[in-house]
Amino acid sequence: MEFFTKFPVMERTALMELKKSIDLSFRLFSRKYGDAIESFFDPLLFFLVRLEKLLLATPWPIIILVVAILAWLGSRSWKLVVGSAVAFMLIGYFGMWEDTMATVAIITVCTILCIAVGIPIGVFMSKSDRAEKGIIPILDMMQTIPSFVYLVPILMLLGIGKVPGLIAVCIYALPPVVRLTNLGIREVDKETLEASDSYGATPFQKLTTVQIPLSLPTIFAGVNQTIMMALAMVVIASMIGVKGLGVPILRAISNQYLALGLMNGLAIVALAIIFDRITQQYGKRMQKHRGIQQK
Amino acid sequence: MKYLKNFFPRLAIILIGLSSVLFSAQANAECGNVVVASQNWASAELMAEVDKVILENGYGCEVELIPGATMPTFASMDEKGAPDMNPEQWANAVYEPLNKSVAEGRLVIANKAPITGLGEGWWITPGTIEKHPEIKGMTALEILEHPEWFPFKEDPSKGAFVGCPAGWGCQLANANLFKAFEMEKKGWVLVDPGSAAGLDGSIAKAAESGNPWLGYYWSPTSIVGKYSLIHLDFGVPYAGDENWNGCIVKPEQECADPKPSAWIESEVNTIITTKFAKQGGEDIVKYIGNRTYPGTVMNGMLVWMADNQAGGSDAAIEFLSKHEDVWSKWVSSDVANKVKAGL
Repeated sequence: MEFFTKFPVMERTALMELKKSIDLSFRLFSRKYGDAIESFFDPLLFFLVRLEKLLLATPWPIIILVVAILAWLGSRSWKLVVGSAVAFMLIGYFGMWEDTMATVAIITVCTILCIAVGIPIGVFMSKSDRAEKGIIPILDMMQTIPSFVYLVPILMLLGIGKVPGLIAVCIYALPPVVRLTNLGIREVDKETLEASDSYGATPFQKLTTVQIPLSLPTIFAGVNQTIMMALAMVVIASMIGVKGLGVPILRAISNQYLALGLMNGLAIVALAIIFDRITQQYGKRMQKHRGIQQK
Repeated sequence: MKYLKNFFPRLAIILIGLSSVLFSAQANAECGNVVVASQNWASAELMAEVDKVILENGYGCEVELIPGATMPTFASMDEKGAPDMNPEQWANAVYEPLNKSVAEGRLVIANKAPITGLGEGWWITPGTIEKHPEIKGMTALEILEHPEWFPFKEDPSKGAFVGCPAGWGCQLANANLFKAFEMEKKGWVLVDPGSAAGLDGSIAKAAESGNPWLGYYWSPTSIVGKYSLIHLDFGVPYAGDENWNGCIVKPEQECADPKPSAWIESEVNTIITTKFAKQGGEDIVKYIGNRTYPGTVMNGMLVWMADNQAGGSDAAIEFLSKHEDVWSKWVSSDVANKVKAGL
């Protein structure tokens, strides 16, 4: 009867041997290829370090001006421009400027990377059902597996620092843009596609002139989610040594400093809202030709 | 009547005997619910789990383990009186607040040295010596003149010194020593590993690839054993309690002028709340006072835990089964038998 009350577990030493052999093979892999993989990412690290140094070295009025200009270019809305400038000034006034610049640097690179990698994958998925079937479980895994599970092999291969942090953030932030690009393109009206076929469009022309423009709302929803998730991962990234707003938050969690955690958390929220509104408004303006109602 | 002559004395003896039996039974049953902190590193987990087994099987308590770390667990015990016990409180980090708490009767130091053979400080990997043989025998002070031996990945012109993650007392100590030894001027960067996993990962990576690494660690730990880390002599003497407790372990804004110093003699205490001291009774307090792990035994257990990927509870069972000669000395023989029966 005990067979039914307690699940028959694999023999203890066999289970342990299995775990140890997986560990050992990974250790050998990392010993052999670790340095090569690290040097593969060196250009990216170099770029990240330079970008962070640039943001930190630029005088703050210029940064606020640039943010305001970007907000204007993206949204043409005075409310957003003034809001962004005020938010950044408050962030600086409360002593969070350097951390925010570090976070902005890594999140910008991460978002651009995710979008640049994610949209082509999404497009590829939308073209082939088999590709979709194969990639969706991988996306599921990327979104649900707890971060430290894939951080352990990354730590062993690449150590602590910006590149492992970037990889960790990208793994979590990539799936939304891939899924939603795939969804958006698949949902484009079949009749419109037929019409473009009848006008003699090549597949590439169909993609660029019909499918992507018509699926822009969904794609931009994906971009929005990617930005939000990237910023949400800031604290996890700081657990493996990435500088930024995550570091004071970790300190606040570990030492129970409420105000410190709250202020830095709100700074992350402000960054998320600013990034998001700018990209959303840009997306809406790109679709003005469709007559989408602007609030 | 003759039998009445002995009646009252006999009755008195019977009553006293009965009450003492009842009272001692009640003393054990009164143990009740106990909350013990299981801090987020291997030796602390092991100690918490061993305490759980002994208190439950041997003394009839209901033990609950909650996660913790040096600073937050101490703050919680000091302010809120919960958890009831921290088996491995690294006392140097909280020297002044702990003394104040004891003086004001909130906390009790039940065991001044539950682990022998401790060592905190700065360590290097064997790979460092292989790459730079002249480093052998150098003190930390001398090594600090050579940041180029430990290039920082993100800025190879500087040397990387890996400190402690947030929540550990040593984060503050390392930050202040970094300032005291003027390391920033000498071209070093204080790298924050972010978490215990980050610190261990950074050592593991450096040791596995034979690269140099300089930073903070402590013993007894499995990492020190597994990668044969080498403890550095600071090269300066310990600069006194006032400098250490009044400045080095305090947050940077409260320590204006830290003086370079060797690491203080590490002190680990088991602290309990006065409420638990009363609730648990004399026997439990005596057990905690006797409960001392020799450094070699603790090291051996930690290496076992790492090799077998065992958590605290498995390790506790292994410890209690294999090291009876050590733990049976901590408790009376009937408690020892009860614990053995429960295994």
